[in-house]
Amino acid sequence: MSPIPGSGLAKGLAVTLRTMTKKTVTAQYPDVQPELPPRSRGVIGLFEENCTVCMLCARECPDWCIYIDSHKETVPAAVPGGRERSRNVLDRFAIDFSLCMYCGICIEVCPFDALFWSPEFEYAETDIRELTHERDKLREWMWTVPAPPALDPGAEEPKEIGAARKTAEKLAAAEADASTPPGVGTPPGVGGVPPGAAERPADESGPASGQGGPA
Amino acid sequence: MTFAAAATHGFLSPAGVEIAFLLVGVVTLGAAVITVTTRQLVHAALWLVVALGGLAVEYLLLTAEFIAWVQVLIYVGSVVVLLLFGLMLTKAPIGRSPDADSGNRWVALAVAAVAAASLVWVVVDAFRTTWIDLDGPAQGSTKVSGEILFRHWVLPFEALSVLLLAALIGAIVLSRRDGEEPGKVPASRTAPAARGGKDSSSGRADRSAREGNS
Amino acid sequence: MNDALDVAFRLIVVFAVFLVLPLVIGQTEHKVMAHMQGRLGPMYAGGFHGWAQLVADGVKFAQKEDVVPAEADRRVFQLAPAVALLPYLLVLVAIPIGPSEGAVGQVVDAGIFFVLAVMGVGVLGSLMAGWASANKFSLLGGLRTAAQLLAYELPMLLTAASVAMAAGTVSLPGILNAFEWWWLPWQIVGAIVFFVAGLAELQRPPFDMPVADSEIIFGAYTEYTGLRFALFLLAEYAGIVVLCGLTTVLFLGGWHGPFGADGLGWVWTLLKIAVLAFIVIWLRVTYPRMREDQLQKLAWTVLIPLALAQIALTGIVKVVI
Repeated sequence: MSPIPGSGLAKGLAVTLRTMTKKTVTAQYPDVQPELPPRSRGVIGLFEENCTVCMLCARECPDWCIYIDSHKETVPAAVPGGRERSRNVLDRFAIDFSLCMYCGICIEVCPFDALFWSPEFEYAETDIRELTHERDKLREWMWTVPAPPALDPGAEEPKEIGAARKTAEKLAAAEADASTPPGVGTPPGVGGVPPGAAERPADESGPASGQGGPA
Repeated sequence: MTFAAAATHGFLSPAGVEIAFLLVGVVTLGAAVITVTTRQLVHAALWLVVALGGLAVEYLLLTAEFIAWVQVLIYVGSVVVLLLFGLMLTKAPIGRSPDADSGNRWVALAVAAVAAASLVWVVVDAFRTTWIDLDGPAQGSTKVSGEILFRHWVLPFEALSVLLLAALIGAIVLSRRDGEEPGKVPASRTAPAARGGKDSSSGRADRSAREGNS
Repeated sequence: MNDALDVAFRLIVVFAVFLVLPLVIGQTEHKVMAHMQGRLGPMYAGGFHGWAQLVADGVKFAQKEDVVPAEADRRVFQLAPAVALLPYLLVLVAIPIGPSEGAVGQVVDAGIFFVLAVMGVGVLGSLMAGWASANKFSLLGGLRTAAQLLAYELPMLLTAASVAMAAGTVSLPGILNAFEWWWLPWQIVGAIVFFVAGLAELQRPPFDMPVADSEIIFGAYTEYTGLRFALFLLAEYAGIVVLCGLTTVLFLGGWHGPFGADGLGWVWTLLKIAVLAFIVIWLRVTYPRMREDQLQKLAWTVLIPLALAQIALTGIVKVVI
């Protein structure tokens, strides 16, 4: 079926006219902020209170862009007659963002949740030496870290929440059993679990969810 | 552009028109002289534009409006463009062309002067008693030209159109000749090549024979 | 004295239109082309949707250095933009926008001939630019320009002659006075041929082979910078104004309209010019460039026979009626 001569030309004209009437998706950036997807990696923020200066992040960084200085301080014994404890004190924590490749290994590897991703991206400098940011700037970026996005509806329950739920259920079951006459056997190891489970929920005081968060 | 036409007292009085006519004529003559004497080819074409434009202005001054614009349209718009096109195709250089001079400028000047003198004498003698009334109705407007052309001068008009048709057909025939007769032209082209080929192959055979012998 | 003042005033008005309308069309092209390509176009210059973009461009061009290539022919190089630009100014003088006697710069009796003759001179500007630039690409562009513009002058002339036949006069106000609404279908073939040939005369896409920037940089205008370049661009947009004006006057009935043609004839004229300018921009955005041989084939084997057929039709109808 040969096309009418000129139909291709007319179709072309129709396409351009239709595009002209559609709303453009151009976002005019400096006047309008871009809509970033969740968990966008903009810059790394440091929550000093959580940092124990274990130096895992500096060691695991592929680019060696994290600079950490620290010294040890002795802390007097908590109990009279006890041993003195030593504590690491952070002197300098700097990330050289001209080297950083935004892989996020430092954040994944930190056992104490001291490093976080922030979607902040407007920190360009005119001199490359000014791209090395110290702890004060890294702390400032902490306040731009968003709450972690909600889990997918069909996702697996996080392990710690599962463990806490199970211990709470067992505790409830044990109390229910204690109110009924003993005779209903309880598993032998159940006594050791509640104290540990009671401690862990209290630990979740940091700004993020627990260690080894949802993958 | 019709400032000397139908109005009874135009912007320029008849004496003014004559002065303007003379001045434009001098400019046209100057441009024509430069056209034939300059050593830069493309400049010659551009001065020709000035000369032809000057002629168009002269036509306007004589109230021949139609022919003035036709002059611009055909000569300046087409003929000069064609000239420039040909010049550029043959790589007209910027600056002087050393071979733009044919070497017989004095003979050329003499011939031009004699031709101009005879033309002027013949034309002035023929039209000595004809006057253009610049104050009356325009005689060169499109309407008037059309009427005169198709009433009194139809036969020359048709003859000229036949001439143009012949020129057009001749141009088409000339430009088609290379593709029209493939038997003739490639044969004449390959014959010298074949002879050249035979010569070189025989030369090679001789040389190898000589080398074989020695 | 009054006459001289009147003439001077008209010339000033025509000059103002010559400077303003091409800029309006240029700004429209920026925005329309942008939206047809799914983007926004100029947004900053002048604050409101970038209306002053071309004004800013003009200022930018004016403050640039005036460069003439070392090997170029200075005089010809410097004169070329003027030769390309002035013809469009002269043509604007002759285009009528309203029904009254004074709605035209100057009444030119040989209207169509004057217009087409003067537009033919504009070709020389491109040729001069192409040759004088001492640049192979410019020379190629100039050659392409010459071939294309020569080829497309004929269809323009023939279709304009068809309208002159229908009206019985070559003067533009005269043609408009003789216009009837049923000329629209009668001359429709001529209108399309005239418009297409005019686009090719202006070197607008899809006929922009002489200035094809992916092949010969910018053709004849490659070596031009600053104000001279701006003048060439102004010549292109002034040409669009002239082409749309001429098509409106010759084929679309100029100031005629369904109502209010007496007092508001100029509104109809401007409206029709605006629609045609939009079509010129629309064609630029939509169609790819035509090759040189396709260009020439279109002119000689399609447009000229159509124009001749239109003349034949006009003649027949004129004799019958």
